This record gives sequence, C-alpha cells and structure tokens, in this order.
Amino acid sequence: MKENIVIIGGGVAGLEAAARLIRLGYSPIIVEKQDHLGGHLAEWHCLFPDMTPASDITAHLVGEVSDANIFTSTEILFINHLKDSYNVMLSNGISIITKVILFTTGFRLFEASRKEEYGYGIYNQVITNRDLEHWFNTGEDARISSKPMEAVGFVHCVGSRDEKAGNAQCSKVCCITAVKQAIEMKKKFPEAMVYCFYMDLRMFGKKYEDFYISAQRDYGVRFIRGRVSEVSENIEGKVVVKAEDTLAGKPVRVTLDLLVLMAGMVCNPDSTKVASMISLQTDSDGFLKSKDNIMDITSSSRSGIFYAGACTGPKTVPETLAEARSAALDIHNFIESL
Amino acid sequence: MNFGFSITPSSTINLDKVDRTMFEHLHEIEPDVYKCMACGSCSSTCPAGRFSGMSVRKVILALQRGREKEAAGMLKGCMLCGKCSMVCPRGINTRHLILSICRIYNKEQQ
Amino acid sequence: MRERFLTGYNDFVLPFLFGMAFILTWCLVGMIRIIIRLPREDRRRFFLSFLNPKILLKDIKDIICDCLLHVKLWKRNKLLGYMHSSIAFGWFMLIVIGHIEVFFYAPHRAKLLYFPIFFRYFMAEDDSTMGGAFFFFLMDFFLLVVLSGIALAIIKRIHSKFFGMRRTTNPSFMDLVGLYSLWSIFPLRLLAEGFTADISGGSFLTKSLNSVFHAFLGNHVNMLPTWWAYSLALCVFFCALPFTRYMHIPTEILLIPLRNAGVKIRHPRKGYAEAEVYACPSCGVCIDACPMGVMKTHIKDTTVYLNRQLRRHNETRIEEISDKCLLCGKCTAVCPVGVEGDRLRIAQRSLRQYNITPDYSCIDTDALVRECSFGGQEDGKVLYFAGCMTALTPQIRKAVESVLTKAGIRYEMMDRDGGICCGRPMLMAGRFGPAEEMIRKNTEIIRASGATTLLLSCPICYRVFKENYSLDGIEVIHHTGYFDRLIKNGIIHLGHTATKYVYHDPCELGRGCGIYDEPRAVIAAAGELVEADKHHKESICCGGSLGSLTLGFDKRQAMTANALNNLTKASPDSIVTACPLCLSTFHRYADRPVEDIAEIVDRNMN
Repeated sequence: MKENIVIIGGGVAGLEAAARLIRLGYSPIIVEKQDHLGGHLAEWHCLFPDMTPASDITAHLVGEVSDANIFTSTEILFINHLKDSYNVMLSNGISIITKVILFTTGFRLFEASRKEEYGYGIYNQVITNRDLEHWFNTGEDARISSKPMEAVGFVHCVGSRDEKAGNAQCSKVCCITAVKQAIEMKKKFPEAMVYCFYMDLRMFGKKYEDFYISAQRDYGVRFIRGRVSEVSENIEGKVVVKAEDTLAGKPVRVTLDLLVLMAGMVCNPDSTKVASMISLQTDSDGFLKSKDNIMDITSSSRSGIFYAGACTGPKTVPETLAEARSAALDIHNFIESL
Repeated sequence: MNFGFSITPSSTINLDKVDRTMFEHLHEIEPDVYKCMACGSCSSTCPAGRFSGMSVRKVILALQRGREKEAAGMLKGCMLCGKCSMVCPRGINTRHLILSICRIYNKEQQ
Repeated sequence: MRERFLTGYNDFVLPFLFGMAFILTWCLVGMIRIIIRLPREDRRRFFLSFLNPKILLKDIKDIICDCLLHVKLWKRNKLLGYMHSSIAFGWFMLIVIGHIEVFFYAPHRAKLLYFPIFFRYFMAEDDSTMGGAFFFFLMDFFLLVVLSGIALAIIKRIHSKFFGMRRTTNPSFMDLVGLYSLWSIFPLRLLAEGFTADISGGSFLTKSLNSVFHAFLGNHVNMLPTWWAYSLALCVFFCALPFTRYMHIPTEILLIPLRNAGVKIRHPRKGYAEAEVYACPSCGVCIDACPMGVMKTHIKDTTVYLNRQLRRHNETRIEEISDKCLLCGKCTAVCPVGVEGDRLRIAQRSLRQYNITPDYSCIDTDALVRECSFGGQEDGKVLYFAGCMTALTPQIRKAVESVLTKAGIRYEMMDRDGGICCGRPMLMAGRFGPAEEMIRKNTEIIRASGATTLLLSCPICYRVFKENYSLDGIEVIHHTGYFDRLIKNGIIHLGHTATKYVYHDPCELGRGCGIYDEPRAVIAAAGELVEADKHHKESICCGGSLGSLTLGFDKRQAMTANALNNLTKASPDSIVTACPLCLSTFHRYADRPVEDIAEIVDRNMN
C-alpha cells in the first residue's frame, strides 16, 4: 500500500505499532532520535512481575520491524500542515509527505538532581532506578563498590506526586519497579537490609500484589510508610536518610550504603516540541492530550495524528503494547476511510 | 469505693462524635489543609521535631480528630523556620497554616 | 520700590492666611504627637542629636539634598529628578527671594506673613534701582523653573514611561484635589503677576506676558479676581495637604533628623513608623521595584499602598499587604525618602494575637553544646552553622566542608544533626518573643562551644546573627566573605576558568547586610563574572523568600521566572548565588546550572 505512515519514536510503542502495521501490509517509517531502537526498555535489566529479561523483549520487538524504514539518530526538524496532509522534515535531509503521523515519543525520566535534598549528583551513594538497571546489566558503576552492602534504600515518588517538582501525577510503575529492584538487590546481597520508603503503594496490575507479598515474606524487604525529606553523608562515607515512619508516628533515620531514587515519568520535552509544531495540545499533567481520555486515548484533536504509549501519560509495558496495537488498527481504519 | 478495676475511656476515635468545629473553621481560612496526604515529609525535616515532637502532619490529623489540645502542645515547639513548606509535595503553605491554627485556637474552650 | 497701598493689606490675602495658619498648626501638632509617642530613649537620642554638630550638619545636608534637590531621584531618572527638584527648589527659592525683597524694600512689613507671597501686588517698581530689577528677574526665573516642573508633572500623569516608570500610583480623590490645586497655584501666580506687570513692574516673563496679551492683561478689572484665585488656590492646597500625599513634604523634614539620630521603628503605628507613613510621597517607585509586580494582582500590595492604607486605618488591607510581602527590601532600597517597607510590614505583623505561644524550654542546650564543642583553648576556632535551609541543599554544606577541610581549617558543625533555628523566620513573622528565646538558646551554645568565628551559609541566618545577636568577641561571617578572605590571604588558590558566571545578590545578604563585593571577588577569581540586568541593591528576589506568610507555592513561579530572566540577560553559563533558598528556588525552573559560590570554590581549588 502506498500510504506513508510516520512513527515518531522507536521505543516499545513505536516498534509494536510498526510491527502491526507491517502485518496489515503498510510500510511505516520509524524516526528515532537515538542511535538504537528500544527506547527506555533497551536500558532496563528485567521486567516485573515475572523478571522477564528486557533484552528478550527488545530483541523480539526489533526483530518484528526489520521490513520497516528506520531512521535512527534522526530528529524531526519541522512538520508543516498542508491541505490534507503533513510535510515532515527530518534532520537527515529527507522530507516525507504523509497523511498519518503516530506519536510514540514516550516519556523522560525525571531529572533526579532537581530534588537536591536527595543528594543525587552530590553524594556518590545516591543513584537512580535507571543507574541501578544499568549496573544490573553491565556491572559497571563507579559509584557502587564491589563490597557487600549492609543496607540499601529505595525512595519512591521522586519527581512524581510532587507539585514542587512540577509533576503532580503518579508515575504508576515506580512502586512495582522498586519492589522488583529491591528483590534483585536482596538476591545479590541476601544479608543486606533493604528499605522502601513509600507514600502509598499502588500495586494495581496483574500479579503485582503477589510480587509485593513475596518481597515482604520471601525477601524481607522493609516497607516504611514515609517520604524521605533529607539525605546527608556521614564520616564513613555512608548516606544518612531522614524520614518519618508515619505508621509509628516517629521520625526515623537510617544509614545506608546505597540509596536508589525511583525517578518518575515526565513528559518528554522533545515530544512537546514536535507536538507544538502542529499545535497539538498538552494536558494539565504536561503529557500530550488525547481526544478523549476514556474512549479515544490514541487519537489527537487533529485528523491523521495518533498517539500510543507513554506520550499521553505514564504506562506499563503491556499497556503500551496494547495501545500500540490499538493505534495500528485505528490508523488502518483511518487510511481505509480516506 | 474500689472495685479492683476502673473504667478507662475508650481508645477508639468515634468519628460520629468528633467535634470538627475548629477544623472546619481552619478549613475556611486554609482550604489547602485538606490536601495533606500524610507523607510525613514535614515531620521528618522539622528541626523542632527533634526537641519537642512537633509534626505538622500530626497536628492536622489531631485537629481532624478534634484533639485540639494535643495539636496545641505540638505547635508550641514550632520555630517557624519554614522547612516544612519547602518540602511539602502538595505545596501546602504549612507555615501560614501553623500561624492560622495558633490564631484561631481558643484557649478558654479547651 | 514704593508701596502701592498705605495699608499694605487687601482682603484677598485672607484665604492664604487661613490656609497657612491651618497647615502650620496641623504640622506642629503632628510633630509634637510623633515626638511624644517615641519611646523615651529614642526621644532623648533625637533631642541630643541636635547638639552633635556632625549629625546636625548631616541633617541640613540631607534636607537640602533630599527635600529640595531630590538627588536620589536625579540618580534614578534625570527627567524625574528635574521635575521634582524644579518644583521643590523653585518654590523654595520663590519664598526665600520673596522674603529678601521684603527685607530690603519693605522691612516694616516683614512681620506680615502674606507680604512676600503677594509682593508684586503690594509693591511697585520705580525703575530707580538695579537691585529691584535683579530680584524681579530672579523671581520670574524661578517661577519659570517651577512652571516647567508643573508642565513635566502633567506629562508624567499622562505618560509615566518618559520618566523611567513603567507604572505609577493610582491617586486617591484627595490626592487629586491636592494635585490640581498645586498645579493651579503657579499658572495663577503668573497670571496675577502678569496683570500687575504694567503697574508694579516685572521681568522677562511677567512683563512680556503683559505686553503680548495687553488687550486682556491690561484690563485691570480682572486683576483682583486673579489675585483672589491665586490666594484661594494656595488655601485649598494648604487645607487639603494633610489629607493628601503632599503631607510628605513637611513630614520628610522631620523624618530626616529622626533617622540621622538613629531612631528605629519600635511601634507599628506610633512614632517613627507614623513619620515614615506620612513621609511617603506616593511616587510609586516601589511599584516597579516590587518583585511581586510581575503579576498585576499584586500591584496594590506594594509599599505605597501599604502607607495609604495605614493612613486610612484599613486594618483588613493592612494585614493582607503586610502578610503577603516577600520582605526582599527592594522598596526600601529604592525609596527616595527612606520609607522602610519591610520593617514597617514586620511591625504590622507584630500586632497579631496568637493563642498558642511557643515554648522552647524543653530544648536541652547542653546536649547541643556537646555536639559541637572544641577541646583545648587555642585561637581561631571556626563554628559552622549551616542553617535549616542548607539541610535541604546538601551541595552547599558539602562544598563548604570540603573547602574547609582542604584548606586545613579546624572547624566544628553546630547543626550536623539539626539545630535550633536562627530566629529570623520567626522575627519576620513579627513574633519577637519566641525569636528572642531562640536567639538566647543559640547564643548559649555558641558561647559555650569556645569558637571565635561563626561561619554561616545562609544569608537569612547571617542577617539575624549580625543584627540581633550580641556575640562580642566572636566574628560572624558568611561563607562568601570567609572564602574571599582565604583567597586574599593566600590560604586557598582558585584556578581560573573561562566559565561565564552571573551572580545573584540574595536579598538578605545584599540589601540586608550590604555584602556585595566579596562574592563578586570570589567569582572573579574562578571565572568570568557578568552582571545581571538589575544587580546589587536592585537585584530581584528569587520569589522563594520566607518573608511572605501568605504567598503560596503556585503564586511564586512567575516571580522566579522574572528573576531568572533578569539574571540571564548576559547569557551566562551558570547562575551563582550564595543562599540555599535562592539556590533551590532557581534550580526548580532554571534552564542552566545554578550553583552556590561554595561549589565553585570547591571545584576550582588547586
């Protein structure tokens, strides 16, 4: 079929949508800013709740799109709205006239250094969830010593549910990611005390609660209901964390070898930039605004522009995959009706 | 007369009987008081908490439960340094909230 | 010179005399009221200041510079300065020369208050003396000066931008009465003297006016009504004066010696505070200066409106305005008459009644002393008090500690595990009693620690330790000053990089304590220093100030954005500040790195 389809972003949503469109007989064009496909997933170690290796999923997704036109290390320079189509100009000099654009621009991880009270970028013992996944994958991180750890802490909601950080929304996946990472740490350092500092635990997905129970019962991860307020360093080079154990009603302090900040999902600024070129609206949470948040999450207010995945809000991998498939079907129906 | 036991007041908080007058009054002046999600950031950062057990979170909870005297006791330790307003993830102006409670609290009624 | 009338009197002088008597009585009563309501020691200080020739000389100098020549306004904007000084100085000269004329040519009329004012009506020139012509020339000249000022004032009303003011005050009804009567006085005088110019003589202005418009001005039927109108305009102005902003003219003359005597605001409404409120000329310079002004809704919360509401005793608005202010002190810094908007507001806050009074008796200072005591008794011990806010910006504390360690300086931390608040935030809320209790507790700890230097990272703490603590023998220093000294004394050396830094003057450090040069010297040693669009005492508050009691988090973003905009005019690579609160506030919205000076020193140390 001749119709061009431009997919902006080669992460989970972009790859899955492209795969489905190929199966429907289209030849979509994937534009990816980075030099590799897979988005955030490519940096992850394994996924909740079954500890599926992220690399397997990435490899599968990438394998499915071998027939697509893929431009990596390519950015969108501008998009013009023509009479009934769009002119997409890429940084590699190619311009594409298309009637259909799919935004799979995803999210960006909250910049943890912006919450300076947690000491990211100040203390070596403070890392983010992404840094930890990277370490799981490669075993390389100058900040993490090879010595066995005695105590590790996880701070939930870093840059999520935080008006001071400009993000009032819940990032949805950090609670369960923290449980997963806590279990992984406990597997590596069975003797270590592992603490999770949370405000509310949101175990909404399939098997999440089981996973949480397992973390408590099988691995002895300690869950403390209280948001961390301050992090400092002691003379031995360990970090001291201050929080309130709100269930006990008492302030708590604990000395840790490693503190992991569960940086939340915020809207990708690149996505907002591209969206503003064709005046697409953003919602109050900063993510792209769907035509309807219940009935029409994959459609934008403009004809021919579709959304899939975390560009419209925080989502899990299965949710993103489902949305990508649904968007592919919507695009198919849209092209049929032209 | 000593029967060998005494009747202690129930430790249950009976929400049907809680006197919410002061909290409602506070809510009129400080609508944000309802935004507290009891995360405890204010309490853990509070420099006065170390000396006196001051905790904005607990003050709000105590007032909601009608335990005004308890709230007043904690507020006596407040140094008004403003750290709690800095850390509150819901952006509550806790410093002004504290001043408002100190103003509307009625000593005679307690 | 000869007298035109034997009596030396006409009924038209009555309105003027009435107005003059009224305003003199009013001012006299007001002055006595303010002085009586000063605390006893302030009153004593005020009277004694007149015996001190140094202060007396300063009083006279300040009155001439501020009230007559408006030097401060000249510095702000030449046109604005000329407008004010032409009216004030011109009018003053008209009065002075009028009296000289009377003294020379009609000494027997010297006791008549109205005579110098209506000199041209009562006295006629006979062309015999050069002196008469000379004075007539001067009188015409200064009348022209005043008229030019009035013309500018009219233009300013219509288009304030010409005078470097984006926004100006919205005048009240009584202000308008005063304004229009003031504007009408001098054209009426010109007209009246124009009528008499062919009888009593005149100079280049009045005489030429008379000959050009001879058909009208030569007709003496209209002469007396014009003199009446002139006198009436003066009467209206004098009678309206106490109820208008023009009350600032007499009040400032009292405020200056009070200030020079060292009198401070001790009561929110009485004494010095009252003098400041009435000395406000409603010029509106503070409106453009106020950092809250970026949002139009806050314009009526600036100092000029606080003063207006204080004059009207509108308690609800006084409370709103006082509580909202960030206390950045910029209005005080730019005020041409020296109204202290920040101190005035703190004083209003102190009126508030609270039913829960803090009690810090449970704080055990001994335990805190043990945490920071030095062993031994040698000199030069540094006690580092990071402060509450620095606990939330650990990069500052880490950098300061690292610099001290690398420089080999022996120090102890006063609040490693949290300490007692310095008391400034409590003072800012107007609750002096609890603040003093904290000050007492901290003083005990510092004294007992055996330190000789108290090092601070937070300008809020620094200011209160400087102003409200009595720590004789212990040097109180902010880390900017301390590092500057370490560099100057060759104890630490900074490597110079090509990084372009802009320095943000924190309110409490700059305007609050006058520390401007030390931080700049430190930055210049480490990289290229550029200035913000508005800097030093004109620096714009970051918007995160603890000074405001009511401004919520969501209301502050626009102010921070405006301050950042001001800082990035010279496209610096990095924004540098010296306050934990500014740091975290800017960090939230800045598009480039925001650092504390300590971080730069730590990074660039060889």
